[in-house]
Amino acid sequence: MSGNRPGVDTAIYGFLRRIPTGVLWMIVLLWSLPTLGLAVNSFRTRDNQRNAGWWNVWRDDGLTMENYDVVFSASATAGLKESLLNSFAIAIPATVIPIAFAAFAAYAFAWIDFKGRKWLFIATVSLLAIPLQVALIPLLRLYNFGSHWTIPFLEKTVTLIPDFDLVNTTTAVWLTHTGFALPFAIFLLHNYISELPSDLFEAARIDGADHFTIFWRLVLPLSIPVLAAFAIFQFLWTWNDFLIANTMAGTNPDAIATTIRIANLAGDFGRNEHLLPAAAFVQAFFPLVVFFALQRFFVRGILAGSVKG
Amino acid sequence: MQGAILSGEDLSKIISTLVLIVVAVGASASLWIGVNLLFNQVRTSWTRFNALAGYAVGFLLLLLLQGNRLLKPHGPDADSITRLGELLWTPLLGALIFSALAVILANNDDQTRRLWIASGSGLLLGGFIGIRLAEDARPELEILPLLLSTIVIAGIGAGIALLRGRNPVPAALIGVALGWLIGGFGVPELGDGSALESAIAAAVPGLAIGARIGLTKNAGVVGRARIDAKSRGAIFLVPALFFVTVSLIAPTLITIWLSLKDEDSVDLVWFENYGSVFTDINSFDVGNWTNIFTSLLFVLGVLVGLGGLAIGLVLRKRTGDGFSAGGPAFAPLMIAMVMIVFGVLSVLRGTIMNNLWWVFTVTVFSTGLGLAIAVLADRAKLESVAKSIIFMPMAISLVGASIIWRLVYVARDTSKSQTGLMNAVWVELGRWSTGSGLPTVLGTVLVWVLVALGVASISRSLTSRTYDKIPLRALATIVLLWIAYRFTFDGIGGFRTNSAGETVPDTIFFVQDQPFNNVWLMVILIWIQTGFAMVIMSAAIKAVPTELIEAAKVDGATESQVFWRVTLPQIRTTIGVVVTTLIVLVMKVYDIVKVVTNGNFGSQVLANDMFEEAFLFSNTGVGAALAVILFVSVLPVMVLNIRRMQREA
Amino acid sequence: MKSRFLKLLALLFAFTLIAAACGDDDAADDGDDMAEGDDGDDIADGDDGDDIADGDDGDDMAEGDDMADGDISITVTGPERDESEAGAIQEVLGAWGDEHGIEVTYLGSADWEAEINVQVEGGNAPDISIFPQPGKLADFARAGHVVPLNDEAAAATAANWSEAWTVFGNVDGVQYGVPVKADLKSLVWYQPARFAANGYEVPETFEDFTDLVDQIAADGETPLCVGIESGQATGWPFTDWVEDMVLRQHGPDVYDQWVAHDIPFNDERIVSTMQAVLDLWTEDNVFASSGSIAATSFQDNGQPLIDGDCFMHRQASFFSAFMPEGTSFGDGEGEVNVFYFPDINGDRPVLGAGTLAAAFNDNDATMALLAYLSTPDYAEARQVSQATRKGGGATLSGFLSAAQGQDPSVYQPLEQSFLNVLETAAIVRFDGSDLMPADVGAGTFWTEGTSFVNGDITAQEAADRIEASWP
Repeated sequence: MSGNRPGVDTAIYGFLRRIPTGVLWMIVLLWSLPTLGLAVNSFRTRDNQRNAGWWNVWRDDGLTMENYDVVFSASATAGLKESLLNSFAIAIPATVIPIAFAAFAAYAFAWIDFKGRKWLFIATVSLLAIPLQVALIPLLRLYNFGSHWTIPFLEKTVTLIPDFDLVNTTTAVWLTHTGFALPFAIFLLHNYISELPSDLFEAARIDGADHFTIFWRLVLPLSIPVLAAFAIFQFLWTWNDFLIANTMAGTNPDAIATTIRIANLAGDFGRNEHLLPAAAFVQAFFPLVVFFALQRFFVRGILAGSVKG
Repeated sequence: MQGAILSGEDLSKIISTLVLIVVAVGASASLWIGVNLLFNQVRTSWTRFNALAGYAVGFLLLLLLQGNRLLKPHGPDADSITRLGELLWTPLLGALIFSALAVILANNDDQTRRLWIASGSGLLLGGFIGIRLAEDARPELEILPLLLSTIVIAGIGAGIALLRGRNPVPAALIGVALGWLIGGFGVPELGDGSALESAIAAAVPGLAIGARIGLTKNAGVVGRARIDAKSRGAIFLVPALFFVTVSLIAPTLITIWLSLKDEDSVDLVWFENYGSVFTDINSFDVGNWTNIFTSLLFVLGVLVGLGGLAIGLVLRKRTGDGFSAGGPAFAPLMIAMVMIVFGVLSVLRGTIMNNLWWVFTVTVFSTGLGLAIAVLADRAKLESVAKSIIFMPMAISLVGASIIWRLVYVARDTSKSQTGLMNAVWVELGRWSTGSGLPTVLGTVLVWVLVALGVASISRSLTSRTYDKIPLRALATIVLLWIAYRFTFDGIGGFRTNSAGETVPDTIFFVQDQPFNNVWLMVILIWIQTGFAMVIMSAAIKAVPTELIEAAKVDGATESQVFWRVTLPQIRTTIGVVVTTLIVLVMKVYDIVKVVTNGNFGSQVLANDMFEEAFLFSNTGVGAALAVILFVSVLPVMVLNIRRMQREA
Repeated sequence: MKSRFLKLLALLFAFTLIAAACGDDDAADDGDDMAEGDDGDDIADGDDGDDIADGDDGDDMAEGDDMADGDISITVTGPERDESEAGAIQEVLGAWGDEHGIEVTYLGSADWEAEINVQVEGGNAPDISIFPQPGKLADFARAGHVVPLNDEAAAATAANWSEAWTVFGNVDGVQYGVPVKADLKSLVWYQPARFAANGYEVPETFEDFTDLVDQIAADGETPLCVGIESGQATGWPFTDWVEDMVLRQHGPDVYDQWVAHDIPFNDERIVSTMQAVLDLWTEDNVFASSGSIAATSFQDNGQPLIDGDCFMHRQASFFSAFMPEGTSFGDGEGEVNVFYFPDINGDRPVLGAGTLAAAFNDNDATMALLAYLSTPDYAEARQVSQATRKGGGATLSGFLSAAQGQDPSVYQPLEQSFLNVLETAAIVRFDGSDLMPADVGAGTFWTEGTSFVNGDITAQEAADRIEASWP
């Protein structure tokens, strides 16, 4: 029957062909709805947020900037500027340093031959499974007292790591992040670096390049896409982290991160929960900037990838 | 002043922060590069390498002694400046001496002379350090333990070397040094000895180590290449391994130890904590497992699965390729798997079951959706817009995300307007489908048009002989048919019939209704983590060589064939990375549950349980045991995954 | 080649400097550790003035901490953290510190319950923390984490607070805690004008109360608003109801035995009270704004009370903060007031809650601050500051103190009536879930109670499970 009317047939087929793209935009729409609701609510008063859904915003008696005013001006826990500064002081080193260390290690696991390489790699990456809560108290003690070991039977104490008085500083926070980030960073970077074409390395070796030169001149430039991907995530995670920042530096008003400041804004029993939508957007601003800034490196991935055999 | 964005105080804080970061990064970078450059000298300039290495060893050794206040201070009460100078000059002096010795040795190939020089200077240096030892660090020597420990340890060293078929002398020498140090400084009281005793205690190890060094030959070309290669492995790994050891391995060992102790970490209770976790009805409740077989989800899943299996078997007989990814049997089997797992896990309850459910659902859906979006966006216009929106949830902090979703799920009394999006839609859908006005009529027409479209798509597949797609299209059509039927006859959505027989609106308690409230919590994490999967896989897809794709297209492959046969195999290890990471990440999930339900309504997960036990209830033992269970249960999955990826690579 | 070697030398020099710099740190700290020769469980450096890490385990503070010294700092932490509360506390404590040449910092924490445990275990405890749960304070006291008050602070506490309150900070006969804030829980919020319009009267006895509930329900209206959802703390409003009812039905002695675990949690009296609460919460009696009590947020009950969806809401004094914006308090049209949740035997028991400050070291300055926290001066100053921050005028601050000798004029009329209830109460009992061990009070009592309210288990099953979880 449909064969008699090719017009209808083509129309239906065309519709079906567009389904995948349609599905994509459907998902995108679904994904954006909660955020959209959050955005709209950030401009509504507490009672409006509680009594009517955000899609009823046109019935409200006007939007308000009051929530943002409070979020910007609150200073009981820490000022906005101070807390942003502290978050940067945590997130930047906590992003840069793990990238460097993980790149070294990933290169070693991928391209330097030594005994037990595969199992050492597996062991390192397996540490990903450790819930970070187990490390909170031991690390806090380490930053507080240093690490000392009393030799059994001899009752003599040896200082393994001295006390650098790091507790309650942003340094303690990013050092902690560095340790926790490494297993995933090594895993991700190794996956990429180990798939770089081996003839590149052989050619460089024949030219007399040592591992350090190869790493510096070849591996790092070629790995920029994966470094960017990791940088995005690591920045996000450290920027949005509450637990570590609160544990390692939560009792020092000069080292308060933005997440702690926002959690405090909400008050106990969620008294000021209506401020959180606005606060969430203020908090998400810098991670989004980082995402947009680093996203362009993904396109360069094509260039880097085209070297692949 | 009010107008200034940054005050002087802010600026000084920014600057000090920047300085801190630059110094920290710069110091570690120069240290690491320095060591690399040092070992670059091994092949090109042996003498220089020895000079620098000797310098470094001497400096570090004496800095260690000086830093620990083990050496005699120069003056009785030095102020801080001379203290700094002292701290610097002694190690520098030591560095120069060691450096000079290393240079001499590097340029002497005569075995006897090497031995004499090395052991002699070792003896002298050891003795000198011994004399300079601070008074409270001088040992009062006890001959018997000293000799005993020296002989025992040297014997062990030599024995091991013999067993491994090596020359026992070097190992014995190191054993002598170690044994003498332990016997000399470890056993007796420190601080009561004389300068002579302390010199003896330090000189003998110096002699032994010197002799051990003197026994070695200067490395030849091959030996130097070996030193170069071996050292690089260490240099590249040490920074990462150090951090990992301090912040992950050591705490884990402590945790394992604590998990064997009682709640105050005093008495050893062995596996009691583990026993209490596994016998707790809240962590493991499989009593009504027979209900699995009456669960609709399970039964339907089995039916769909059998259908998929049948298709696959028939195809394999005909074409030899029945179950390949993307084939006709693939979609039904995948759907069946999800339905069966949901059917089983919604019946078996408890914390551990919840964790399994979380891991399965979030991993499968985040990876699947992330991959689909990465692929679809790759060829769509406005790619970056789509990707940015999918990524957005990752940037919103967890507090923000939980607030959003509590708002999305919230239910309100049906006499009020719904403030939660899901219930608003659900209740409206109920009104729409049970109503009798024009909208309901239009809705009925719409659902049946959709069914017709489904049927048309199947007939299209038949006429164009693209049989591959029939199973998926048939499934979709059946679902549409069911929706249309319900819409037309019973109604669908949020309504119920009250005692008076009237149809009234009804809401769903997404967060409270067990057991599927768990799924709604998982949706939050899927919403967040899909962006993660998408970013990583999108980068991998972009790295697939365009030539491969072009070649496949020239051979007449359709877009979906290109995806299943070219792109997918190319990014397989990346998918492995995403899946492994997600499994681990989901296993450790706690914040969503903590904020939204705090484990109420049968939604407890291991990590939140652990957090509560360890940090709120002060049950250190049980908390530690839960952490160990968490870790150990994902370990095999991870190791297998990584092994498989290693083999594939 | 030559330039490369120069670079190398430069690096070497840099390395030498860094090592020297780090080494200096080591020397300073290590030296002390070595000299004291213990296993590193102490922080030295008490002389390091601008360093807030001073607050360590407190067993060995340096002698440098003298009140006259201008370099002392005190860190106070606590669960109160929003802009007006934390701001007010900081302002008042800061002013006291300026007077005494001490730098006082207050920091609220969103996760205080867990954080304080971690900080104590990690050796990084603050100088003073404000405990919302006497049970936790008692645990910390018995574990030796917090220190007893010195004589002056204990004397000040005894002088400024009645024994009904100081007893919550008393562990095994030793005073550890200073009460700093009081909440009144035995209150019912209502609209007087709507009561009058319907001819209802404020109930005097518990029987009147249940009669009123029945009457309102019979009139086709809904008497009560109830919601027990509260995010992480879901279930606590239910525990408050149970406690208030145990106090009324079985008296303070049974209440004390119950929270002290002298009678088991699944004692039949407790089980019957739990059942009694649920029996009162029938579908006809309760408006739950989300359609189910377990799913209704306790804070969402302000609007329905104003809108007339229900007539009464039993909730603590601090609930004023959750009323819709612009709500005024009094007996006029559209205004909201409270009445005392009536008793059964005429003994007027009051369920209270509040916070207690306790110290982690016994420095003079720390103890002096604790003594100050107990005074009416502190309460008045904080009330004024917090009310101003909330907007001033007739706004309620949300703060309340039962310290004796306060000037009542700093409080609004409604708050004065709260104070009046507190002062006239013969029997004051602290919120039981805050006195029980955290496993129960912040654990199973909430979760199993929620399951019970949700209809998943019976009262007996819930009580049995809570009893089993008692450590």
